[in-house]
Amino acid sequence: MAKYDVVVIGAGSTGTAVARDCAMRGLKTLLLERDDIASATVGTCAGMISSGLKYMDEPNIVDMCSDEVVYFKRIARHIIAKNPILTPLLEMSDLSSGGNFAEEYSKRAETRDVPPVLFLTPEDSLKIEPMLNPDLIASLYFEEYFIDPFALCMLQALDAKQHSADIKTYCEVTDILTKNGSITGVQYFNRIADKMESVKTKAIINAAGPWAHKIAALAGAKLELRLNKGAHVILDRRVVNVGVIAKAIEGRMIYLFPHENTVLLGTTALDTWEDPDTLVASQDEIEYLLKSMEWVIPSIRDARIIRTMEGVRPLVPTWKIPEGDVTRGYEVIDHEPEGVSGLVSFTGGKLVMCRHMAEAATDLVCKNLGIETECKTHNMPLPGNSDDVDIMALAKEYGVSQHTVERMRARRGSETATILELTRDHPEWKTTICTCEPVIEAELRYAIRETFPQTLNDLRRRVRLGTGPCQGTFCTFKAAAILAEELELSGEEFQLDIADFLAERWKGKRQSIRGEQIAQEELAQGIYACVGNLDQAQEELDYDLKPWEEVL
Amino acid sequence: MNLEADVVVIGGGMAGLVAGIRATEEGMKTVLLRKGQSATAYSSGAIDVIGYLPGGTMPLGSPVEGLQGIASMFPLHPYGLLGFTDAEPDTVSKTIVEKVRTAVSWLKATLLSSNIPLFGDIDSNLDAVTVLGTVKPTCMIQETMWPGSLMLDADSVALFAGVRGFPAFNPRMAAQVFLEHQISNRLPPRKVGHHVLDMAPFGNNYNISSIEIARYLDTEDNLSVLAKKLKKHVERIGATHIALPPVLGFNRARENQLALQDLTGAYAFELLSFPPSVPGLRLQRGLETAFVKAGGTLLVGHHAKMDSLKSNIVKEITAVGPKRNLKISTKAAVLATGKFIGGGITGTENGIRESVFDLMTVSESFRIATSTTPQKLTNTIALSHIGHPLFGSGLSIDPQFRPITGEEVHAAKNLYAAGSVLAGYNYPAEKSGLGVAIVTGYMASRNAVDYVKGVSA
Repeated sequence: MAKYDVVVIGAGSTGTAVARDCAMRGLKTLLLERDDIASATVGTCAGMISSGLKYMDEPNIVDMCSDEVVYFKRIARHIIAKNPILTPLLEMSDLSSGGNFAEEYSKRAETRDVPPVLFLTPEDSLKIEPMLNPDLIASLYFEEYFIDPFALCMLQALDAKQHSADIKTYCEVTDILTKNGSITGVQYFNRIADKMESVKTKAIINAAGPWAHKIAALAGAKLELRLNKGAHVILDRRVVNVGVIAKAIEGRMIYLFPHENTVLLGTTALDTWEDPDTLVASQDEIEYLLKSMEWVIPSIRDARIIRTMEGVRPLVPTWKIPEGDVTRGYEVIDHEPEGVSGLVSFTGGKLVMCRHMAEAATDLVCKNLGIETECKTHNMPLPGNSDDVDIMALAKEYGVSQHTVERMRARRGSETATILELTRDHPEWKTTICTCEPVIEAELRYAIRETFPQTLNDLRRRVRLGTGPCQGTFCTFKAAAILAEELELSGEEFQLDIADFLAERWKGKRQSIRGEQIAQEELAQGIYACVGNLDQAQEELDYDLKPWEEVL
Repeated sequence: MNLEADVVVIGGGMAGLVAGIRATEEGMKTVLLRKGQSATAYSSGAIDVIGYLPGGTMPLGSPVEGLQGIASMFPLHPYGLLGFTDAEPDTVSKTIVEKVRTAVSWLKATLLSSNIPLFGDIDSNLDAVTVLGTVKPTCMIQETMWPGSLMLDADSVALFAGVRGFPAFNPRMAAQVFLEHQISNRLPPRKVGHHVLDMAPFGNNYNISSIEIARYLDTEDNLSVLAKKLKKHVERIGATHIALPPVLGFNRARENQLALQDLTGAYAFELLSFPPSVPGLRLQRGLETAFVKAGGTLLVGHHAKMDSLKSNIVKEITAVGPKRNLKISTKAAVLATGKFIGGGITGTENGIRESVFDLMTVSESFRIATSTTPQKLTNTIALSHIGHPLFGSGLSIDPQFRPITGEEVHAAKNLYAAGSVLAGYNYPAEKSGLGVAIVTGYMASRNAVDYVKGVSA
């Protein structure tokens, strides 16, 4: 049986950061994920590595966030973008909270290489963002950094792997083995090999996010979480030039953030007890967001809604206060005092803190194991961060459009040249497979060979396949064939992969379906049901109903 | 500028063109408006009549069998409405089958004269093979798409051949899916091979589209080069059949099919595929040619504009073009604007609307849908044999094919509707899209013509 120093459970932003930190400090590390890298909470976030603007009442957290932004700019600059943000003020009363925020933000602006908060006149605001409600009386201008959350998790996992960690996706923990109150091992079901496996370990770091309490329970430990769900509505293209923050109907703040080729409208915050796997955005959440944003962007409903997404925040369990008053900090919990030695869990936290959380947990595990090491994760770059990428030169050299190369760079950084080099032997791999993003075949083949996707959904998280307005209508069957070839899948597995991918896309499209997206779906049904006959094939194939699907 | 017409047809897909050609053939001065590309042009080119009963999972052996089932179980299905006549109840099924047979046979003859020979009839469904390697039941396909004896002859061997840099067809996966399907159904062929050809049409070796290949193969010399390359692989695996993506040309498809057989010794055929679809475009062009040849007036790039119906008779329709508006006075109109792809039906968070006359819409089960949120008409499962009722929503019509605006009250006495703007059938699930379009286009046109002749007389 394989022996590890530490097993990390959960490959979200925190789990992958922990695995990276542990591996870099020389611990023999195994990362177990029941699904794929970044397949739950982090995959539904807006990617803001926030300066802490929402938590101005917790200055130590604001300091931490600000430092973490500086570290991310150092280690992952290729997957980071800086977005200007406007907060339009429509009434004088909107101004009261603005002043304090501006002061706190501006104190730490210089370290992050952003200007202090500016107050803009209506004229200047409208110059920057003509879509704003012209009745505004002023706006606050500031800048925040955003990161590609999928790429961050993937790069942290890959970096862990390069530091000798083992990464196992599709392995769901079924039991935690203990002896005399100490962790001895982990048992898990390997869905790829279709069998139970177990390993020995001295320590476990439980980074299972909204499932963390269930993992703790396997070891007989108690962990409480306050689960809180949030919805995003995803709009096609950059319908605004800059991010916009606005007051929602009950006074919370919501936002409209440019994100890759889309704009994200979010988010709601509702306490939830549902299985996170079954959650979808509700009609009420969608309308709450549209209605709230309509006051500052009156034309918001003209934008094409691509889909929605719903995620679950595993908050620190503080009760009988509104969600907004719960700390945005995190807790690292050593379960030793309650008689489970070797198990460490997280509650709370934010995307921007994932590296910090990893450092804290790894420090604790190293201390418990009696190892003296130093954290290097804030200094050592993630893969792809090494050089600047000359988009124009590469586009010319390989005969691929500048737009395609730039989108590839935003995911791959300095690996872009390596990927394009593949087209020398295979010019046909310059073919665009996903036209919305766009993604060329060379990048798909590279991602399949280097980043261990098992399904099309995994490939979507690697290259943003099928995330544009057509939601996989035109790329699903093409990419599925490439994946099937590379992984040597059977015809049935190939068809099931198509069905699974369309099922996952439909989950998000369905809730907000309207306008052009209905015509798009009719086309998708025309392709996969009417012509492809996969609706009927599904009867014969071994299709598993998804958690959010209901029996017809 | 103003135009005068006997019949104005709004919509230039299958339903509209069938209605337009028929009206012209009946001596009507017919003007047809086509806004943009129709769903027919996006189609695989296969003419489905009925492949599965609504909600069914057993492929129907023949459209006739399906029509008989619809006659007894789904009287409000567009095919079911064909049976609302004064005749005895026990002849309903026969009436429906005969009306469908008449319309489908007429289409076959019409397209033959446009040089698009079709294979098949309503007495049996064909097993058509798709670019995914899956098999679907359909009524008629273009001759070039008929797989011949591939699935009948015990010794047949298929070569699936793709083109390097053409991503819409992966011969290896298609061959694999097809073989698995045939083995599980204990049918030939027992052996399939696959190959990717280096064709580089017009010098391109990546981002190649089916349209590009079809244009390239419209030249005889280019086809001979293809044949030479195919021959090597036909001989290598002993192929009796060659499965190709549907790229055999816009003008020479049938000649090319026969030439390939001559030059390679194997029977070549085109698979059903997705948009952009060469066979769909061939169908569209063939129908338009027939309409113009019959004397119809085709206004491409024009959509119809109407204020909501104020009286119960349509007298004038405005055709809005890119640079002009035409007022067309007419004696009757056929609305064949399609569903969501065509734009005849739209959906917002406030409800499902008809886009030209703002007519009442209903769901697949005929509940008023004018204020129904589209999401409420969908299932949680993306792909299923039931489909999404959203795609069965549209207009409710009387037995004359006139849209109704309430309890059996028609919107206008001279306004008829046909094709996927109609409610009550779910074509992606049933595999009935072009069939319903043909038959309802044919019937709506006949009723419009009868009305005009009655009015004229």
